[in-house]
Amino acid sequence: AAAAGLERPQLVAHVQQAVPYTLFDCKWVPRSARLLCLGSAARGTGLLQLYELRGGRLALLREIEKAKPLKCGTFGATSLQQRYLATGDFGGNLNIWNLEAPEIPVYSVKGHKEIINSIDGVGGLGIGEGAPEIVTGSRDGTVKVWDPRQKDTPVANMEPVQGESKRDCWTVAFGNAYNQEERVVCAGYDNGDIKLFDLKTMSLRWETNIKNGVCSVEFDRKDVNMNKLVATSLEGKFHVFDMRTQHPTKGFASVSEKAQKSTIWQVRHLPQNRDIFMTSGGAGSLHLWKYEYPAQRSKKDSEGAEMGVAGSVSLLQNVTLSTQPISSLDWSPDKKGLCVCGAFDQTVRVLIVTKLNKV
Amino acid sequence: MPVWLREYSWRQTGSAVYLMLPLRGVRVTSANIFCTEQYLKVSIPPFLFEAILYAPIDDTNSTAKIGNGIIFFTLYKKEVAMWDSLTLANANKEQLQYLRENAVLKAHEKAKEETEEKKITKQEHKKYALEATMKLEEAERKRIEDLKEKERQKVTKELELWKKQQNDAEKQKRVQKEGELHQEVEQLKEKKNEKMNKTRIPNEGTSKTRLKPTKGCHGSYSMFSQNLKEEQLPAPRSAATIKINFTSRVFPTALRESRIAEEEEWLRKQREARRTISADLSELEDLKEEEKNPDWLKDKGNKMFATGNYLAAVNAYNLAVRLNSKLPLLYLNRAACHLKLRNLHKAIEDSSKALELLTPPVPDNENARVKAYVRRGTAFCQLELYTEGLQDYEAALKIDPKNKSIEKDAEKIRHLIQGKTQDS
Repeated sequence: AAAAGLERPQLVAHVQQAVPYTLFDCKWVPRSARLLCLGSAARGTGLLQLYELRGGRLALLREIEKAKPLKCGTFGATSLQQRYLATGDFGGNLNIWNLEAPEIPVYSVKGHKEIINSIDGVGGLGIGEGAPEIVTGSRDGTVKVWDPRQKDTPVANMEPVQGESKRDCWTVAFGNAYNQEERVVCAGYDNGDIKLFDLKTMSLRWETNIKNGVCSVEFDRKDVNMNKLVATSLEGKFHVFDMRTQHPTKGFASVSEKAQKSTIWQVRHLPQNRDIFMTSGGAGSLHLWKYEYPAQRSKKDSEGAEMGVAGSVSLLQNVTLSTQPISSLDWSPDKKGLCVCGAFDQTVRVLIVTKLNKV
Repeated sequence: MPVWLREYSWRQTGSAVYLMLPLRGVRVTSANIFCTEQYLKVSIPPFLFEAILYAPIDDTNSTAKIGNGIIFFTLYKKEVAMWDSLTLANANKEQLQYLRENAVLKAHEKAKEETEEKKITKQEHKKYALEATMKLEEAERKRIEDLKEKERQKVTKELELWKKQQNDAEKQKRVQKEGELHQEVEQLKEKKNEKMNKTRIPNEGTSKTRLKPTKGCHGSYSMFSQNLKEEQLPAPRSAATIKINFTSRVFPTALRESRIAEEEEWLRKQREARRTISADLSELEDLKEEEKNPDWLKDKGNKMFATGNYLAAVNAYNLAVRLNSKLPLLYLNRAACHLKLRNLHKAIEDSSKALELLTPPVPDNENARVKAYVRRGTAFCQLELYTEGLQDYEAALKIDPKNKSIEKDAEKIRHLIQGKTQDS
């Protein structure tokens, strides 16, 4: 039985590094063995650290301090040559930095009145087509899409109707960017709302409510016709939506799983296999899941309208690394199975997931 | 009195004594035989056989064979000697008694020792078994750890290899870039003079003269195509705004903030209150249909209050209460009327009843509760019961801390109370 257990993917902790600040986000620098950690120092300033994986350790290459604590960052909207980092901070500012010359940002805008909770980029890194764009979601209830070529004003703004009480936006994600015109943004809010905005038609394409605050949403691939969307929430639940078939009234089909007793903070799909994803939990655990498609992805309902059929999710492996929540997670786009996670115990950990070829 | 068994026969060798005891018609078990070093007793009520042996025997090895109607004892002597007789000849009663007791004591001690030994051996066995299982589990755990360790090492090696590859690739790229920069300059010069479809010629030209690996060719191609691509990127979107609404609920709070239990109770109470219809219809038969509806009556009452006809308003509310005694707003409004009519005790009663019905306290019935507290407070003050009045005003303030008029009134009452205490 133990032998059979070892045939499954193993989550091997490779390196662990304590950092002297609160870690909010960690990201791999594309095309390299370097990773970036973002956070908030004790004195209330933002900190950016660049590490390189050397031997069995993380070697600190650079440390950059900024005025406001940094909450989130992405490389999604920059080219492979430039590799500029876009960050959102506690003051609602969106900045794009050239890490070789980080004193002055390449682009800067005070995008929101309150902290930017989540950021995503699309159109860069040689993935997908269309203009590079960045989307930010903030506690002020708005979701804004920015183009680095346009200063000061967002190219799209999703805000509450006048007089509506606002809900915090906790997460945003791009998807459906398979040609130059199409693009959608999915946003999750703290009251459980998930909204899908179509940027081509500038309209709300779909919305639903999953009752618990949505901590993280991600499409399995940003640059294909939207296939699957995973949304994680408080109280240990996550939902996988099949995005290929939209029913006029019922929306998208979904399957949900209650995995961990605590909040599921992040979900990240494996860049090399879009049916495998990892969720990180409030109890310091990581779960590796595999999605299996149903025999038929769509069927007709009683009136003949097409409706999607959700598949099933199975747990491949799980591991508990920490007692504090693991708030950020990122797969390396270059090495299959290499991932980094940052937890609130001020430790950044590099993990290797083995046997992903056999799954 | 037991029946003594005197018929027995015995013979001896140097080291053993053989005793035969006939017992016809009785069943013997090993429980009936009691033997120590120098004392032998067989007791099958009512029969009894007793023998104080001539010399000590080894009672642990001696045996008794119970056959059909006879017990055959094989007693091994402690000292090899020939006995004159089986039993001690001159044994008087006291000696006998002493020997008997001794024998019994000895037997007890022996039994104790035996149980102790048994216990010890049992414990040792358990310990051994435990250690064995622990060892097995330890071995199993170690095996798994080793496998994991091997995986880790393998994976680390792979990672190092990959990293090396990355570094090499980067170095190569850098070298190529420099090479390409030179070529780009040349190509741009040529491009100025030629048309688009002739750009293939400069590339081919470079591939002939290139001494470096073919990767460079791809590199320059992609650089070129990237330049073209950049020109083809769509313009930034025209700015637009999408307005959104958030999911509404009866109570606009997220699951994590809601007080569902209380709110559900409040809703349920309201629903039940609507449904209760007073059974006492006999007097009310002569009323019109609409006059039997408590809501309609409430509205009527409100209108009359607004016009200043307080007595009529009170009548309307009275009728409504008779129809449905569970609507808190009826009592609340009637209290207001009584205040105006200076029926202060009635006002207090009605406000209290209203507050009773307004449990559980939820944001939905905040306004109603504030009004109830204020009205009751006013009534108390007008009756000069200032402390009770102040209590009610403070309760109202707790629910609605931002209401300036309540604050002012509370202040006034405090001053009054202080003034009174100074006087008295």
